[in-house]
Amino acid sequence: MESVFHHVTPHIGFIYPNESELPWTQLIVIYPYITGLVAGAFVVSSLHHVFNIKSFAPISRFALLTALCFMFFAPSPLLFHLGQPTRAFNAVITPHWTSAMAAFGYVAGFYLCLLILETWFAFRADIVAMSKVKPGFIGKIYGWLTLGSDDVTPKALAIDHKIARILSMIGIPAACGLHGYVGFVFGSLKTREWWSSDLMPVIFLLSAVGSGVGLLIVLYVIASKLRKTPIIDETMRGLLYVLFTAITVVMVIEGLELLEIFYKAREGVETVRELIMGPIWAGMTIQWAMSFFVLAVTSILLLYNVHGEKLVKWLFAAGLAMMIGVLAMRWNVVIGGQELSKTMKGLLTYYPEVWGRESLSVVALISIMPYLTLWLVTKLLPPWKDGEEYGFSALVSHKHT
Amino acid sequence: MSKQDKAIKSQKVPMSRRGFLGLLGKGAACTSALACTGAAVGSSLLGEPKHGFQQNDDQLAESINNPPKLDDYNWNDHSWAMGVDTDRCIGCLRCMEACKMENSVQMDAFHHRTWVERYTYLEGSNTAVVDSQADPKNIENAGSETRFRFDNRYKDVKVDKAFFVPKLCNQCEHPSCVQVCPTGATFKAKDGPVLIDTTYCIGCQYCVQACPYGARSFNEVRGVAEKCNWCYHRITKGLNPACVEVCPTGTRIFGDRNDPESPVSLFIKNNHVQVLKPEMGNAPNVFYKGTDKEVV
Amino acid sequence: MPKHIVRLLILIAAVLIVAFSAKQFLIPDSFYQYGHYRGNAVTEVASKLPKLQGSASCKECHEKEYEVWTTGIHHKATRNNEVQGVVYKYGPGCEVCHTGPAGNHPSKEAMPLSVEDKITSITHPEIKVHPANMAGRKLMLTPREMRDVCLNCHEKLPGRPLEQKQIEVASHSGEEVCTNCHNPHSPRIVYASLPIGKRGNAEAGKAIADTCAGCHGEVGMSLMPEWPNLAGQHFDFLVDSLKSFKSGKRPNETMAPMVEGLNEIDIRNVASYFSKFSCGVSGGDKAMAVLGKAKAENCKACHSAGGLYGSGSAGVSGNPSWPNLAGQNVEYLANTLKAYQDGSRVHPVMTSIAKTLSNDDIEHLAAYYANMKCK
Repeated sequence: MESVFHHVTPHIGFIYPNESELPWTQLIVIYPYITGLVAGAFVVSSLHHVFNIKSFAPISRFALLTALCFMFFAPSPLLFHLGQPTRAFNAVITPHWTSAMAAFGYVAGFYLCLLILETWFAFRADIVAMSKVKPGFIGKIYGWLTLGSDDVTPKALAIDHKIARILSMIGIPAACGLHGYVGFVFGSLKTREWWSSDLMPVIFLLSAVGSGVGLLIVLYVIASKLRKTPIIDETMRGLLYVLFTAITVVMVIEGLELLEIFYKAREGVETVRELIMGPIWAGMTIQWAMSFFVLAVTSILLLYNVHGEKLVKWLFAAGLAMMIGVLAMRWNVVIGGQELSKTMKGLLTYYPEVWGRESLSVVALISIMPYLTLWLVTKLLPPWKDGEEYGFSALVSHKHT
Repeated sequence: MSKQDKAIKSQKVPMSRRGFLGLLGKGAACTSALACTGAAVGSSLLGEPKHGFQQNDDQLAESINNPPKLDDYNWNDHSWAMGVDTDRCIGCLRCMEACKMENSVQMDAFHHRTWVERYTYLEGSNTAVVDSQADPKNIENAGSETRFRFDNRYKDVKVDKAFFVPKLCNQCEHPSCVQVCPTGATFKAKDGPVLIDTTYCIGCQYCVQACPYGARSFNEVRGVAEKCNWCYHRITKGLNPACVEVCPTGTRIFGDRNDPESPVSLFIKNNHVQVLKPEMGNAPNVFYKGTDKEVV
Repeated sequence: MPKHIVRLLILIAAVLIVAFSAKQFLIPDSFYQYGHYRGNAVTEVASKLPKLQGSASCKECHEKEYEVWTTGIHHKATRNNEVQGVVYKYGPGCEVCHTGPAGNHPSKEAMPLSVEDKITSITHPEIKVHPANMAGRKLMLTPREMRDVCLNCHEKLPGRPLEQKQIEVASHSGEEVCTNCHNPHSPRIVYASLPIGKRGNAEAGKAIADTCAGCHGEVGMSLMPEWPNLAGQHFDFLVDSLKSFKSGKRPNETMAPMVEGLNEIDIRNVASYFSKFSCGVSGGDKAMAVLGKAKAENCKACHSAGGLYGSGSAGVSGNPSWPNLAGQNVEYLANTLKAYQDGSRVHPVMTSIAKTLSNDDIEHLAAYYANMKCK
């Protein structure tokens, strides 16, 4: 066989021969990212449904749809990544419970069902209405979705609301499970110095919430601009509070983790230092720069009690930065962890492929699909309820800027 | 909603006794449910794993009374182990070649079921420079990825001390790879080796990540994980693993620990032996003699 | 309860029942038998056929070589034969140097393929999972290739324990082929290079050579094509041959009585006399010689001074114990090869090589060497 240097990962120092190819690459970077967005969007939706925080009412249904659409695509990076995707259900048929990964099938399945149910309950009144109004085949589909019942009496709607609330309540620990287990998959691995940490599940979960909030900010602003509807100031303020909380806690805990590694200074800590200075230097810079940016912006927005146009502009920037920063963090954890050799005497540098099964083009495709799906779903199930229903009269242009 | 309604709604209605007791009851039920779940999880984690995370009493009984049907072989009679005497290894890499041929391993530099590392202390240095035969310079010297040979890069340099260390899967007592496999495709057999069920593996590569020794690799062609299994198809027929069979200097020693006169039992008994990375808690079954503080 | 809730519950119940039944149905046989895995996987893994057969399996066809190997150091290449009561396996077995499990020999079709390999060879014919199929992997090595194999273990490398016999290649042998001096199956026995000792006295040898001239000519160019030319032949080889005739190791009805009366010194003298002459070219069919040249590629390893890849006159051996072939009589060469083939003349290396030659090959080779200039 002629030498097939397929995807050689260049390295310095000494690595075990089998480490030359990174097992988990871009696809495993975006998988926790997408589930994180799901968890984050869901938490925001729950802030209204469970905790009755009024400022989130305008976007709570939209957040729910966002969570649902992203959840559809959460398993796809994994399917692309598996060596034997046709056997993917083996982990569901005979789950080996000592493995955190075995939880995936059940937790993700449960969570998807929960999201579908909650969406159904939240939108049932609209579905019933549309089944009566929409013509042709579409009308029929809505008809099926009503499960043959057009009961929209206040009593029925109250029960719907109650069930939706209970589902939301269950959904919060479920979201913790959905995203926490991913953190556990990495954090429980004693083999990899960069991953092995008790804090890993917490870091993943909190950064997930942060990225979800960031996503919602970005989508809310874009959706409002596209629909030419006013951006509700109270909602933006609410999102600001959540983002601020998330970023502060995330930075503290991520900082703690780094500090711990260098303070304990176990064997091989010099190589960890070289890892940060070397292969993941760019990623770490992006992650922390974005984090500091978000912290600074949200702090200032809070401190100076900013409202209106300025709030929208800066919060949008902060939300985008948060999304980028959390993606960088996922990259640094997943790929960075593997760039540090198990020998602790070597470092690899991973260059992603552009085309192929596990490549940037697939990542781009998987990343775009949820947004397209969300756009379609909002056409089918319009989440917006504009106007005074929420009791807000504060339009962006009227409030002091 | 009218102002009055709003006022009524905003008033805090005191809870009735009945309501409070009901709440207490629900709380108690939830807490006890959580406590039970926690206890169950805790006991399963803290309880003594019978054998490689997998067996309950019925399964243990089944493996004793109804072992897999192999000609002239009962896995209850054997407890395989391996020894490596690094004082003898000359780094000829015939073990690697034999393994690749015997097990049809991919003939490239990235898939190894066994390999050899070279540790060199240059003059005056307290740490070793390490390379393996997968190092690009060694591959260049050998001529291609299908030929295995260490180069002679230190011939013009003063070397204080150097030695070779063969590595392979340690078939641990508490294998990390078995712990993390989500489907049960990899498992520890009763006679010792950790095997892979290649028709069941989904290729998630979690086991590749989990192994502290880098013994596992992913076979892209078959879409499953693979690793050394001490040539299970040979040892169940009374033969030695391929690497042990061809080693020209007797570096690799293999045998049955149930037999006190077997080569490996005597090796362990008569030498001070170590294992690799004992702090991992995996309890490997490959025993090394003559390793060094620098061996990773 | 509202209608839609009831219907939803029914739907959920139905989905759950289907899902759990499917799960139960899809669990493979023998799963959970011995643990959280398929019990049948154990027998599947164990039932693969071994490829490495062990050195004893080579004995049947290669008895001579096996015998040499078992008595040699390659069979007992350790410091002590027994180490604290444990007898380790020693030395490289046949399959180590002859790069390939015996399961791949003699033909690909005879090779026991594992089930996985069979499937892979059908589904992915472009993937050569069998190293034995790959270019460059052969069972019978030429001496030049053997040099690489020998050096693989015996080149001096830092890190090799001192008990291992190692050489600095440049100062030990340069470009020379290992088998010029060492028997690869039992390297300590240096069979090829005999301790010849002093050269003989050519003047004294002339007197004895008068008898030889009757067949082998005054200047060592023989009178009949069936008899070998002796002019310019290696001294060592001539001594070795005469000694073999005398001891009967090389049975020859004509030569045996000739050397009966010669002692050790006479042998050296007459060998010295003939080796001093310039060799001639006896000539052969030119067309056949061209065909012979291609076939002679492997012969170069021993019968050419530069070995397989070096420059040097083909036909003039590097080792003085081995005969020069350049300019030798066509008939004699052909007869010799045939003698090796049918066993009337025996030699550890030539016997097996001759067996690979067809009658046409023999004719061509003889013509090729016969046409060669030896200087």
